[in-house]
Amino acid sequence: MKNYLDLVSRYEKAHKKQNRMSIFCIILSVFLVTTIFGMADMFIKSQLMQTRKEDGDWHVALSRISDEEAALIAARPDVSTLVCYGTLNYQLNLGYTLAEKEVVILGSEKELLTEIYGISIPEGSFPQTENEALVSSNIKKQLNLEVGSQISIRDAQGMEHPYTISGFVEDTPMILRQDIYGVFLTTDAYRALFPGVTDGEPDDYDSCFLVRFRYPNRIRRSIDDIKTQFHLSDTQVGEQAMLLGLLGQSDEGNLFMMSIYGAAAVLSALVLLAGVLMIAGSLNSNIAGRTEFFGMLRCIGATPKQIIRMVHREALTLCRLAIPVSIGASMLVIWILCALLRFLSPKYFGTMPFFSISLPGIAAGIVIGILTVILAARAPARRASRVSPLTAVAGMSDPADVRKAANTALHRVNIALGIHHARSNRKNFLLVTASFALSIILFLSFSTTVDFMKHAITPLKPWSPDISVLSPDNGCSLNHGLIAQLSGTPAVKRVYGRMFAYNLSTVTDGREGTAMLISYDETQFQWAKDYLIDGSLKDVQERSGTGIIVSAPQYNNQTKIQTGDTVTFMIGETPVEIEIVCMVSECPFNTESGDIILCSEDTFRNITGLTDYTVIDIQLTHRATDADVDAIRALAGPENTFSDKRADNQSVLGVSYSFKLFIYGFLALIALVTICNIINCVAMSVEARMKQYGGLRAIGMSDRQLSGMILAQTLTYALSGWLGGTILGLAFHRFLFEHLVSVRWSEPWSFPLAELCVIIVIVALSVMLAMRNPLRKIREMSIVETLYAE
Amino acid sequence: MEILQVQNLCKTYGKSETKVEALKKVSFLLEKGSFSAVVGESGSGKSTLLNCIGALDVPTSGTVLIDGQNLFTMKEEERTIFRRRNIGFIFQSFHLVAELNVEQNIIFPLLLDYRKPDTAAVEEILEILGLKDRRHHLPNQLSGGQQQRVAIGRALITKPKLILADEPTGNLDSQNSQEVLDLLLRASRHYQQTILMITHNNNLAASTDRVLRVSDGLLTDMSQTDRKEEGYRDEKLS
Repeated sequence: MKNYLDLVSRYEKAHKKQNRMSIFCIILSVFLVTTIFGMADMFIKSQLMQTRKEDGDWHVALSRISDEEAALIAARPDVSTLVCYGTLNYQLNLGYTLAEKEVVILGSEKELLTEIYGISIPEGSFPQTENEALVSSNIKKQLNLEVGSQISIRDAQGMEHPYTISGFVEDTPMILRQDIYGVFLTTDAYRALFPGVTDGEPDDYDSCFLVRFRYPNRIRRSIDDIKTQFHLSDTQVGEQAMLLGLLGQSDEGNLFMMSIYGAAAVLSALVLLAGVLMIAGSLNSNIAGRTEFFGMLRCIGATPKQIIRMVHREALTLCRLAIPVSIGASMLVIWILCALLRFLSPKYFGTMPFFSISLPGIAAGIVIGILTVILAARAPARRASRVSPLTAVAGMSDPADVRKAANTALHRVNIALGIHHARSNRKNFLLVTASFALSIILFLSFSTTVDFMKHAITPLKPWSPDISVLSPDNGCSLNHGLIAQLSGTPAVKRVYGRMFAYNLSTVTDGREGTAMLISYDETQFQWAKDYLIDGSLKDVQERSGTGIIVSAPQYNNQTKIQTGDTVTFMIGETPVEIEIVCMVSECPFNTESGDIILCSEDTFRNITGLTDYTVIDIQLTHRATDADVDAIRALAGPENTFSDKRADNQSVLGVSYSFKLFIYGFLALIALVTICNIINCVAMSVEARMKQYGGLRAIGMSDRQLSGMILAQTLTYALSGWLGGTILGLAFHRFLFEHLVSVRWSEPWSFPLAELCVIIVIVALSVMLAMRNPLRKIREMSIVETLYAE
Repeated sequence: MEILQVQNLCKTYGKSETKVEALKKVSFLLEKGSFSAVVGESGSGKSTLLNCIGALDVPTSGTVLIDGQNLFTMKEEERTIFRRRNIGFIFQSFHLVAELNVEQNIIFPLLLDYRKPDTAAVEEILEILGLKDRRHHLPNQLSGGQQQRVAIGRALITKPKLILADEPTGNLDSQNSQEVLDLLLRASRHYQQTILMITHNNNLAASTDRVLRVSDGLLTDMSQTDRKEEGYRDEKLS
């Protein structure tokens, strides 16, 4: 032993048990902070992946620039890819068709598919000449064509433009959803096809140049540089705001992303504070249980400064084990979450690495860990330095702590002692209460992100179909026998149809209006139960001549019709009445003009006299393959519109999974902080008072009375923390709700009763869990052991 | 009348090489109202003996009967209640409840038993202990001697059949030690209580009715030895 500080490592070796709890606290705090940063990193990565997959991996789109200027920009060292990209008939309003079906024509280069959108060409290659075309795979299936076959695009004037198929490209979600064809041409072929071109004008051919920069952290500078160098106006440079925002390179604020990051930073700081309080609490209890030891050190000549140094060294020594363990655990959690994302949405997150190690993340974890511990050790170190040398001689532990006797008149003596134990040391009481309260504030604050998520991400509704078969003229022309045929297909999980009658004139209470009448079948009535506002769905199903009114102010559909009203429809010249017997808040269709009235199929047929469907929706089993979908398409017939929404659903699910994993994961971590905090506080406080408990047991306190005492102490902490946390947490909840939700979706703040119930359950559970181990430990120890426990 | 019967009491710590026999077949009886002292070197097994008698520790074998009842055949809760009502403890380091004042500390065993303290009895004890004017003081506001007096008061309040004192004067100066011993003696006579006290102080031991010596886990009744020695000396002289 060369230095007095060497005592720290020796003490640590000899008292591993006492340090275990402090190490656990440090592990937990550093784990939480690093996991939060890791999860935020993972969330950004997942969002980047999804944005790149859906919107393409480009940073800016330059329009109205010449080919020469484009070539100069492409040659810049900071530009990684520059691709010309033009579209014809993207809105399906220019009349281009291929085999009678709408066709979207794209003029570009191979890099657009391989570099920007990551779309594969499963067969053939990108067109090399003006006569070649790369076509969507659905053309191959539906028109039975192959590479080398001829196709002909007809324009609005009826002119035919023939091409040879050079290859087939993956179908995009839009192609599948809209049941259209897609054709890729070379830039030259595209320009040749562009309508109204004379003497090379217009020179932009409704196209732009997509640019991807090489250095993600210098994108902003590159954009500004290009703008200056080529005298480009803001309207000529379109930015991919989402991608730039995720890369932290969005200039015009990307206020939405920035406000999210701002909120994340504030919440991370709160988590850090919770960590500091938790470690400080554990170190404090550790110090409190060793006042005689510090008194002894003071007796033999240690100065208060030396004691402070020793406590700091002790805390840092604990970090040696705690930080690597917590970083390891945090990495493991992140890996599990990444694997979950890959498993849940392989289409979007399939390329997410399983075992990625983020060196900056680890470095941040170490720095944050040490910083947290140093901050947390300050108060306990000062406390240890203030221990009087007399303490060692007197053999009393911190006699100055008790100033007032427990109130045994109000409660039973063990309960009074428990409450007094919690409250006797004001500083410790405030620290523990603040730490509990902070966890609750964090939980309430973070729960607003769930509301935000529910609004920001449109989840798949129960009635969302994988495939829709639509009547080409939006009339009731889909044979109702098709439902039975489709339900017999093994790949079909559910099939349900709707009949539509549009723009029906209505009179309700003398008010004239228009309404859309839609039929529901058994399955759809079941789903409607979750959105019922008023009335009985059973009546609508069983009584002919009754209907449901849809009131959906969230879609600007605020009806004046109420339950109990009678709506008179004019079917031709005949007035038909429908009694409105219930109201729902959602349905698969929304309209801002006119009302939506839902009714049973019988009522619809009685009123309109129509028997066939307008839409047939299909939900597929998980095992359904492309071949099954082709078979369903064949059943639906070529005369009907076949909309494949599987890719869209995948996208919605992808976004929803990454958001849910991030937000619920974070909430779970915060709940874990609360639980561990309570468990830790109780364990530390029991550990520190073990000797006293021994004395109490010796003079006749039973185990049951001891449990009551510890419960009273724990509940005093928990209730005070809950009360303080709830009051402040509600204020935070309201503030964040109004800033994240009310501002964008005009939904007023409401009292978060469910969240408060969850908190009560968490606190109650934590108290029960917290009591279990210390009590078992005391019960298992003989009284002599507890009496002479160190 | 016998209040305490200890028969073949053994206590062993550890196993094989680290095995330590703290008590080896210790047997003795204590009469009601007697004041006995246990003496012996440090580590001889005195405290282990006291802890086993008071059911603070579980013996390896043997029986302890207090007023005819075997403590170790009772369930934990039953044993605790029995201890609370029938055994008073006085420790060297007092073990007062820091959060309770003098009066509360004294009536503490009654409160644990959900009994209402008899005001007259509390007043009497405070009077005997000389703590009347300190009744609302917290332990940290008292001297060592005063704290030990509070501990004695706490041991007396339930009028237990047996008081076990583990070096009650170990932390006190000679004057305070003598005062504490006088108090214990007075209590023993006044309340007809049986007291078994561990002490290192030969003078204090000499003031008791009976002295038991523990050495290497074996117990010798010094009073009987002395009597034997006296008898042997008388025989020789005659």
